[in-house]
Amino acid sequence: MLKKEQNDYLCQTGPGTPMGNLFRCYWMPALLSEELPENDCPPVRVKLLGERLLAFRDSEGKLGLIDEFCAHRGVSLWFGRNEDCGLRCPYHGWKYDVNGQCVDVPSEPAESGYAKKIKLKSYPLIDQGGVLWTYMGDPEKQPPLPEFEFSTVPLNQTFTTKRIQECNWLQAMEGGIDSSHVSFLHRGDLSNDPLFKGAAGNKYNMQDLSPVFEVVESDGGLLIGARRNAEDNQYYWRITPWVMPCYTGVPPRGDHPIHGHFWVPIDDESCWAWSYDYHPTRALTETEVAAMKDGKGVHVKYVPGTYRPLANKDNDYLMNRAAQKAGKTFSGIEGIGMQDASLQESMGPICDRTKENLVGTDNGIIMARHRLMRAARALADKGTVPPGVNPEHHKVRQAALLLPRDVQYKDGAKEALVARKGVRQTSV
Amino acid sequence: MQSESARMTTAREASYRVQYPNSKPRAVKVIALDPASARIVDEISKKSWNGAAFFTAPSFTTEETPGATGSGLKAWLKDLAGRTMDLVSEIEHCDFAVVITTAGTDARAVSVIADACALYHKSLVGLVVPGTDDSDAAVTQSMKHLRPYTRMLVIASGTDYIEAMLTALRA
Repeated sequence: MLKKEQNDYLCQTGPGTPMGNLFRCYWMPALLSEELPENDCPPVRVKLLGERLLAFRDSEGKLGLIDEFCAHRGVSLWFGRNEDCGLRCPYHGWKYDVNGQCVDVPSEPAESGYAKKIKLKSYPLIDQGGVLWTYMGDPEKQPPLPEFEFSTVPLNQTFTTKRIQECNWLQAMEGGIDSSHVSFLHRGDLSNDPLFKGAAGNKYNMQDLSPVFEVVESDGGLLIGARRNAEDNQYYWRITPWVMPCYTGVPPRGDHPIHGHFWVPIDDESCWAWSYDYHPTRALTETEVAAMKDGKGVHVKYVPGTYRPLANKDNDYLMNRAAQKAGKTFSGIEGIGMQDASLQESMGPICDRTKENLVGTDNGIIMARHRLMRAARALADKGTVPPGVNPEHHKVRQAALLLPRDVQYKDGAKEALVARKGVRQTSV
Repeated sequence: MQSESARMTTAREASYRVQYPNSKPRAVKVIALDPASARIVDEISKKSWNGAAFFTAPSFTTEETPGATGSGLKAWLKDLAGRTMDLVSEIEHCDFAVVITTAGTDARAVSVIADACALYHKSLVGLVVPGTDDSDAAVTQSMKHLRPYTRMLVIASGTDYIEAMLTALRA
């Protein structure tokens, strides 16, 4: 349970809000690289943290993320002409470079220097691992580039998608932290989904439906361990990392690619659910990539030409009551991503947490909220750099392993929880 | 025509949710397992709570038959007023229990509380509070004591987290 003011504090990420200021300390995924595929390609509208922006790749391949609207009369530059190293407004011809600097005001003499006095807000945009990342904070405090493993392995080892989720970022992200729902909502997928099935560890999930949890703080966020009984006086541990503010990893299964998410606010009532799959030591197979493109695992099928899931609120998520009744799916919705999204969107645009009734096993969620509020306050009061900004905090890995019952997972899985180049994931 | 899901997930529709208390106050027993955590519990108890009861366990004993379970289990707690209370009775009438231990201290008393919880099918949450200069080994040792008995085990970052957790659980 949260008080209304606490809920507002966590959910509002627009400019000037405490949580918005916190988010603006981090590099965040903004677009897929495929959205700006070549020099002088069409610009793309982007809304992040409640700011309307426009991304484009200029004639020299430079990337820009600038205010969407022309400083002259407020026209959307989405209609602009991307040519000769700049984006030209089609209304009166004002032109901007990737830094938002106006470089041409045709109605004024070039020698007047008028253009130099016009500059749109802009943010850096960098291409890493098939993702275009941006940093929307104070330029003086721009941190080093992100070093999440999924975006630093060779491109043939990683695959990332995004989908729009029509609710506040926090209720979406809390699903990524709350691994206790897996045994119910996703139970059918362990044996059917090509990106999950066949792992030896799956049997422990199926045999023990009452996992026990341990939550410990990490430098960048949390480690949430779920343990289940296994043979030979061992526990089967599935360990979920959360890196502040909005990165969650899903513990791996066998040699399947590792997956996880970023939950990036678009505005207070929608967010981007980013989903990645990668393998630390090998290229993804054609079969795996085909499955991901087909919406398997944590990915979804799209409404053609969009990043909106094909199953969405407008079609009741393609609810299949017969499949629900037959036990093929637990909720009647197909696919892990939409099983989560359908329920999280059903909470409403912003979940009313004043009415919730948490239990002890929700401590991962409680602690994540607590850390977010604590970090936002420390940033506001003392300018403290929040956890998760330091790229060293990104080098965390999810893990699934068997450990003797008297070993704490933070100790027993210490090496498994660190991303190490060329070292396979620890997985059962 | 709009789908039902599209119509029902707007902010406007959210405003029509029935406003009523959807849960009853719950009884939570918060038990300190050592003197250092007793000080933490004492501090936290001064806040306003819905139905939480706070105990210290400086003279935590089983009567006559250590390790006894079921109806043979006899153990005692002290509340913050210094009154001796029957552990089994307290657990019987709670919704769930929380034990707090400071890293590196002897937390084995948890087993008796866990027996009482098992007797009445109550969940037990364990919180380990690291001191400022506690080693990882001390935390590990405390976790080891609590792990077999708790459904949720947390290394709490400090008293502010304990308060946040109890508030979140409507304690």
